[in-house]
Amino acid sequence: MAETTGALAVATQARAIVGPDWVVTDAAQLRVYECDGLTNHRIVPGAVVLPGSTEQVAAVVRLCHEHHVPFVARGAGSGLSGGALPTEDGIVIGLSRLREVLDLDAPNQRVRVQPGVTNLRVSEVAAPHGLYYAPDPSSQQVCTIGGNLAENAGGAHCLKYGFTVNHVLTATVVLSDGTIVELGSEAPDAPGLDLLGVLIGSEGTVGIVTEALLNLLPKPEHVETLVAMFPSTETAGDAVSAIIAEGVVPAAVEMMDRLAIDAAKTQTPITWDTEAALIVELDGPANEVRSQFEAINAICKRCGADAVQVAASPEERLTIWRARKSAFAAVGQLSPAYLVQDGVIPRTRLPEVLNGIRALADEAGLRVANVFHAGDGNLHPLVLYDNAVAGEQAKAEAIAMRIVELCVDFGGSITGEHGVGIEKVCSMPKMFTGDDLTAFDRVRAAFDPVGLCNPGKLLPTPRLCGEVPGFYHTHRVETAGLGERM
Amino acid sequence: MADLAGILGADRLSDECGTPILTPRDAAEVSTLLEAASKTGLALVVRGGGTKTNWRPEPTRCDAILSTAALVGIVDRQPGDMTLVAQAGTPLAALQAAVTGDATHHQRLMLDGVGGEHATLGGILATRAAGPRRQRYGTPRDIVIGARYVTGDGLAAKTGGTVVKNVAGYDVAKLLIGSQGSLAVITEVSLKLHPVPDAARTVILQTTAVAAVTDFVAAVRTAPITATVFDVRWPDGVVAVRIESTPDGAAAQIDLLGGFAALEELSSEAGNALLEEHLAFPFSGAGAVLGVGVRPEHLGTLLTAIAAAGGLFVGRATLVAGDIVLPDLDPERITQLVQAVRDMGGNVQARRGVETHRLATGAAAPGVASVEAAIKQQLDPAGVLV
Ligand SMILES: Cc1cc2nc3c(=O)[nH]c(=O)nc-3n(C[C@H](O)[C@H](O)[C@H](O)COP(=O)(O)OP(=O)(O)OC[C@H]3O[C@@H](n4cnc5c(N)ncnc54)[C@H](O)[C@@H]3O)c2cc1C
Repeated sequence: MAETTGALAVATQARAIVGPDWVVTDAAQLRVYECDGLTNHRIVPGAVVLPGSTEQVAAVVRLCHEHHVPFVARGAGSGLSGGALPTEDGIVIGLSRLREVLDLDAPNQRVRVQPGVTNLRVSEVAAPHGLYYAPDPSSQQVCTIGGNLAENAGGAHCLKYGFTVNHVLTATVVLSDGTIVELGSEAPDAPGLDLLGVLIGSEGTVGIVTEALLNLLPKPEHVETLVAMFPSTETAGDAVSAIIAEGVVPAAVEMMDRLAIDAAKTQTPITWDTEAALIVELDGPANEVRSQFEAINAICKRCGADAVQVAASPEERLTIWRARKSAFAAVGQLSPAYLVQDGVIPRTRLPEVLNGIRALADEAGLRVANVFHAGDGNLHPLVLYDNAVAGEQAKAEAIAMRIVELCVDFGGSITGEHGVGIEKVCSMPKMFTGDDLTAFDRVRAAFDPVGLCNPGKLLPTPRLCGEVPGFYHTHRVETAGLGERM
Repeated sequence: MADLAGILGADRLSDECGTPILTPRDAAEVSTLLEAASKTGLALVVRGGGTKTNWRPEPTRCDAILSTAALVGIVDRQPGDMTLVAQAGTPLAALQAAVTGDATHHQRLMLDGVGGEHATLGGILATRAAGPRRQRYGTPRDIVIGARYVTGDGLAAKTGGTVVKNVAGYDVAKLLIGSQGSLAVITEVSLKLHPVPDAARTVILQTTAVAAVTDFVAAVRTAPITATVFDVRWPDGVVAVRIESTPDGAAAQIDLLGGFAALEELSSEAGNALLEEHLAFPFSGAGAVLGVGVRPEHLGTLLTAIAAAGGLFVGRATLVAGDIVLPDLDPERITQLVQAVRDMGGNVQARRGVETHRLATGAAAPGVASVEAAIKQQLDPAGVLV
């Protein structure tokens, strides 16, 4: 038999490592892995391997390294920037078999998990001990801890509690040559470089996480939640600024505009009838929460809220959060297709930017729904379109890109939590100079000199984006005639 | 060296005990200097306020000191967004005063300025210095939202930004924080600010029984209490809890704390003085200083080991992280303590004493060491930053 090469050779040899049942090469089955949550990009991978242990992941990565085959890790595939999009000639390393909670250490308030464990499961196993895992992406029922580390996932409550990077103590990582390393430390203040800090948010380009030790928090003593109904997104935006200025740090401040509310109504029993709803949640010691909650209630009214509904029971609170967390998916009820955008602006600029987004949408004749983390200025405009209408998807994509560029114009970022992935690689030069990108590229090369670990993601490539500034720039000293390149 | 001085102009070059000091005026000058230095094979040591030069081993060579003393000032402050951008050579104390001094906004910069009034923002980051209030606000890694830096070969770059949430690109600031100036010169930093709470109250537990300390700490840890400071001073036998909240929020938490042990409440002045004392602790006395971190469950074992070695400790009760001052530089005691902490799976970093560095510096795991070396090679290929 002729020697196979590339992805197929890796797949063949991987059978001996992970067992024949855990290697996928069948064309129909491969299609399951052709995209993540960014469904307008699809590529069927060369093969999929599903390892059952850290050692198996390392052995498969070593095979890829030997055969010079690119690979991409995949968790639940809920990513929204195409981070887990495969390459044709590459391997998808799926972590779905690694879903054990390994060790819950309640006295030290930490839990060791495998990467395929879902975000919500961590809080579920911690709950009997009065503990929970703070980062709470809206996709928490499905997304995995491995994916959360890769994207530095946030959630509604990261306004007060921070992102994934603030809650991970250690990670076991398989590097691009198959070396297994332990990053971070179980105890504070480890000497050496904070490699864990770079791994988190590196979008699967630094290595594959095969285990993580997560920090848990005691459940807050008291929680209060309100929904304030505003006559416009501007007035709701003003209220956000006023809350921040008051010196209160709520656990969450989320906004939904009318379109997003209408969508959520198809899934949850809410009766909100308003242009903009602001969800504010406070948590912490009971007395502190009570007095600050009164202040926030007053601010909302002062800023023009027509009505303020306070959650009177845990059930009512749950309904509010269901409405918020289901909103993305629910927009599917209003439109045959939509794009989820993710950009950040300084939170004081909300009214201006929301107006700008509306203007862009009107100009294109498309609808945009807004449901987002208002407290930290993290926008999620959902661009609705009909994929049956020729050219409408392209129009929607163009609007989505112009929205993030607007965010950059206002001093913000092209992504707050969904990552650059494949979707925004060509927007990176909008935010970063050629030298900034060169420095990023060097960091990547330190971890993955050969470029096999999720190639084509996070940083722009000439293939996708045309001439990319940077990477091969001329040094200042050279232009000044002070020195020459070897 | 003459070349480097030529780049900056003679007035930017001074001399300290035979070592030239270069004081670039902006990031562009830093870039030009580093690029030239990497071409000529010079070794530079970056210096901020010079308060923590002994937090790292003595450099094996140093052709010149690159001082950030001229990179000072606030670049941008947005009270409404609670963000601040400042040049890296700005003394932290001055920044904090500027933020707190703005009476209309009631905000503060929650990096703990260990090291006194000369400690600079860049130096705090490079040494990953943190103090008592990390209990609530974390360390530089939790407060920095972006940075500008110049790599060893002169590439002037940016990471992160000025908004509080942002995942575009690698978080290079994480690498720079704690890198002791070995990868790049930090020239500008973006930071999160926090609101100043209305009330601050401090209570202390005095006991010399380790079990009394660990029982109290365990009880507080699971209680609905958000402490800004939760420190242990040992073997003095003081556990201090500083609560910052609304007045009634603070009152309720102080009441709750009182249910766990017999506590004494300090006056507001005494509470602030205690905080200052704990901030200054790693710089106090004479002898060796070690930074330590252990898992929460090892607090008691750590306290016992410190007392046995004749050390003094001030540290965060639940994290657990803090500093040990060993009044003499007895190598045996240093070794004994370092070993005790490592046996607990903990971390040790030397802060003061050449001998302390020799005895406390451990080797990174092989895989990690090669990534660290690769990062150094990528960001400072000529090895200019020592
Ligand atoms: C409805 C909806 C709501 C969402 N809400 C939020 C939100 O509120 N906040 C938020 O932050 N995100 C949100 N997301 C985005 C997404 O859920 C997160 O990015 C999540 O962290 C991805 O996890 P995953 O397991 O699905 O990863 P995948 O999509 O499988 O992969 C994402 C990236 O991580 C890499 N990766 C996966 N596993 C590993 C591993 N073990 N080691 C190394 N790299 C790995 C992949 O290569 C890829 O680059 C939402 C998505 C949806 C669909």
